[in-house]
Amino acid sequence: MSEHTVSSQAYTKAVLHCAKYPWATVQGLFLTETKDNKIRYIDAIPLSHTWTQLTPMFDIALQQAQIYAASKNLSVGGYYVAYEDPNNIQLSASSALLAKAVLAINSNAVAFVIDAKHLAPESVRSGLIPFVSVDAQWKEQAGAFGSDKKGGKGSEFVLENNRVLVTAKKLIAERAEAAIHDFDEHLDDVSLDWLQNPLLNEQIRTA
Amino acid sequence: MSSSLELLAEIRQSSERRPFAVLKLAEPLLNTRGVSRAGDDAWLVYEQVFVSAIDEGQIELAKAVLVILRTRFPSSQRVKRLYGMINEAVGHPDEAKTIYKEMLETDETNILASKRLIALLKSYGHIGETVKQLVAYLDIHNNDFEAWLELSNLYLTQNLYPQAAFCMEEVIMQQPANHYFHLCYAEISYSMGNFDLALKEYLRVVELSTDNVRGFYGIKLVADRIRDIRAKPKRDQNARIDDAPQPATLDRLSQLATERLVAAYNGANDTCKKTAEEWLKA
Repeated sequence: MSEHTVSSQAYTKAVLHCAKYPWATVQGLFLTETKDNKIRYIDAIPLSHTWTQLTPMFDIALQQAQIYAASKNLSVGGYYVAYEDPNNIQLSASSALLAKAVLAINSNAVAFVIDAKHLAPESVRSGLIPFVSVDAQWKEQAGAFGSDKKGGKGSEFVLENNRVLVTAKKLIAERAEAAIHDFDEHLDDVSLDWLQNPLLNEQIRTA
Repeated sequence: MSSSLELLAEIRQSSERRPFAVLKLAEPLLNTRGVSRAGDDAWLVYEQVFVSAIDEGQIELAKAVLVILRTRFPSSQRVKRLYGMINEAVGHPDEAKTIYKEMLETDETNILASKRLIALLKSYGHIGETVKQLVAYLDIHNNDFEAWLELSNLYLTQNLYPQAAFCMEEVIMQQPANHYFHLCYAEISYSMGNFDLALKEYLRVVELSTDNVRGFYGIKLVADRIRDIRAKPKRDQNARIDDAPQPATLDRLSQLATERLVAAYNGANDTCKKTAEEWLKA
């Protein structure tokens, strides 16, 4: 299987989405770029923080994210979710279905559950737990992002460099989450750019 | 100084959960005893600060505020529940449970205590037990639409869509003019494959709330979906479209939704506008 590398922008935006709605389940998509069998997670597009089990707006957002991704020569390559209950780190039935919809448009799509316990300032690893579809089931990839379970299939998942965690923590400390806007927010105010979140990109770049 | 108090009052009114904003607004007031300028509302402000403080993990601040409230209202049940909440916040669920149960022994109709017990169960992941308690609560207080809303959410987390839909029906019966509930019901119906009902409910949303973007997106999505299903009926076995309007009406609805969305997107930036327009064409 190919190597999966997650950039600062992708990781930080997913984590800030969680930070903005700590009491809710949040979910979103990852945009990816594939070169020489290596998959880079370039960006994150936050989708929703309410009614996250329901499908209509997810369907629309997924379709629009695809249109946007194509315009940037990227693909929709991932789905992330962080549950309201921080002890829940398994992919739920409804999340599995939504992730399946992403799989339908990209057979290499990976689903990630964010483990909130690893978002604390003192954490030294990323909170992402990857799930890959094997025989129509989402299987957890142990050992991802340098976690303790060595030798698992998860070892192919890495953060781009050691600035990724530092950047994410810095922006959380600065309360940058106010600047992230998901599709739910966009539906209430179309002037909010949920696809790019450009101000945030700038903050991440200069962090 | 008074504008901070006004803003705090607005946040209380809207019931928004904005703990960081509340603390930022309240901090200078607390330091300079500005809260007393709120008169009788001062106690509401303190309660608001308490809840925001535990939300932000600022337990010492919460404790300080609690002392102020306890001093003023020594035998208040409303303050007692705050003691329960701070126990929950520091991870002492058994102490919290004891407090709430004591409150219910004093007065078995104490809604605050019942609700906190249910919230406690939910926060510890005992969903089955939470649902049971909430159903028992609703047997007595069946006009508490917020409780029906909470039960609907709980059912959704368990993928029990029909049960969630039933709860939303109760909410809508009590609050028929609130478009937000029709929106939720429309989305649950869509997720269950009841497209005819979803369309009706999305139409209700835009009736009740002018130029509701989410509503128009829903109308466009469902109208087109029904059209697709009619064209290839065998593909979607679970889809219910029996009560859906005639093709000509569907086309007009889809067109109307498109027009309203294009108009709404004049307020969006280029990227979002282009993407939405691409989607509308497809």
